[in-house]
Amino acid sequence: MSLDVEDLLRQGMERFAEQVPIPSGLAHRAARAWRRRRLAIRAAAVAGTAAASAAAVFVATAGSGAGSAIQAHTTAYVVSRVEKALAGQHLVLRGHTSGGWGPSIYWAYGPRNRFEEFTGSGEPFLADGTALIGGKLTGVYVTYYNRKWSLLPEGAGPTSACSRTGALEMAGPAAPARNWPAFIHATLACGAATVTGHAWIGGVKTVRISGSPVTERLLPGEARAIHEKWLRSQWTLYVNPKTYLPVRLSGSNYTYGGPMPSSYSTGVTDIRWLRPTAANIAKTLVTIPPGFGHVNSPANQ
Amino acid sequence: MALDQRVEDLEQFLARRGQALLRTAALLAGSVEAGEDLLQAAIERLLRQRSRVDGDPEGYLRRTLCNLATDEFRRQSRWRRKLRLLQAEAPRSADATVGVDLRDAMVRLLGQLPSQQRTVLVLRYWEQLNGPETAELLGCSEDAVKSAASRGLRRLRELAGGLEREEMQLQDMSARTGDGS
Repeated sequence: MSLDVEDLLRQGMERFAEQVPIPSGLAHRAARAWRRRRLAIRAAAVAGTAAASAAAVFVATAGSGAGSAIQAHTTAYVVSRVEKALAGQHLVLRGHTSGGWGPSIYWAYGPRNRFEEFTGSGEPFLADGTALIGGKLTGVYVTYYNRKWSLLPEGAGPTSACSRTGALEMAGPAAPARNWPAFIHATLACGAATVTGHAWIGGVKTVRISGSPVTERLLPGEARAIHEKWLRSQWTLYVNPKTYLPVRLSGSNYTYGGPMPSSYSTGVTDIRWLRPTAANIAKTLVTIPPGFGHVNSPANQ
Repeated sequence: MALDQRVEDLEQFLARRGQALLRTAALLAGSVEAGEDLLQAAIERLLRQRSRVDGDPEGYLRRTLCNLATDEFRRQSRWRRKLRLLQAEAPRSADATVGVDLRDAMVRLLGQLPSQQRTVLVLRYWEQLNGPETAELLGCSEDAVKSAASRGLRRLRELAGGLEREEMQLQDMSARTGDGS
């Protein structure tokens, strides 16, 4: 039997394309990802330390030879285990971030989420997430220092860190994924991260998953602002091997290649999973304080 | 133009053309989920390139999808080699492969081609672009496009031939054990 590959390919593409849904909210999701990344770049620029210390931190995660074969097996094992943990975990995520991008908290429950950043003295600085406006879940952005807020359409969060955008989001503040087991499964399966061992956190022997470093040329405006040309980001996730829910996320950003000394910042988000009580769920929503002025765009804040 | 206005404009554009772009992205990336990520990354780039948002963004998005797909493929190629080794170790059941539809398999086999060959085939057979249009989109010569298409099809024939032989053997095996009735 001879094969008409061209016809089969055409027909196969048609059949495959029929399964592709109509996308929604992609532009909003992209805008949010971009904004989070800018936060991370800003943090890296503010935190600036010597390049030498940064260089020591960025060690390639992939091994070689026999070591890497073992690593691939371990990762494959975790991929197979995570599949079994894909049943929805109806818990409230509470993340507390410290480090380069200042203290912040992150609450999430399903599509609801609240990221709040504080000043060094503990005053709220900005909030970004969902609020109930007219009974509808809506994305908002609040800046406390000038008492303003705006609508910031919500996205669905990254489904994996396989793309550069997903990886950069993971290295920024907050913990962006919605369905963690699915996120971990997809990210390990595409090779954007590998299992790199274990670490004891809070009495739990967690599985350490290291994302591959990503490097991106800064936009001219960003490059001029911080006098660097490149951004290199990396993230590491520590997951509970029983539930495959994360207990810690660390991200690091390194800018270099300009006339100024390179800068490096790292942030660590410690995550707890709480019961979905009314009080906990309430914390996953941003509250717009009375008297704050509404502006058309986050760009005006 | 303010960011939120540009985002709104883009959402309106994507409501019209998003599915077509996502289909291309999914074919380039190998799955719907990976395609969504790819398209989102392309949109983010578009949002960052303020001057290019005005006017029709489709050409820019299509070109960026192709470039990003190539980057992703290069990054993942080492990992794919490892996974292939792991998959080779796993036992395969005859039942699971009986009835494999070669048309569906062909799309999966696309993912095994080098990035340029895969991109050229997606542009030719899905986007219906001709040689000069493909060359312009990818920023290469028409000869390079012809060569990539020819090598890609040849490789697909080899891979599909292997699948077909394997399936026939499995069907024979099933028939001999009485499972094929």
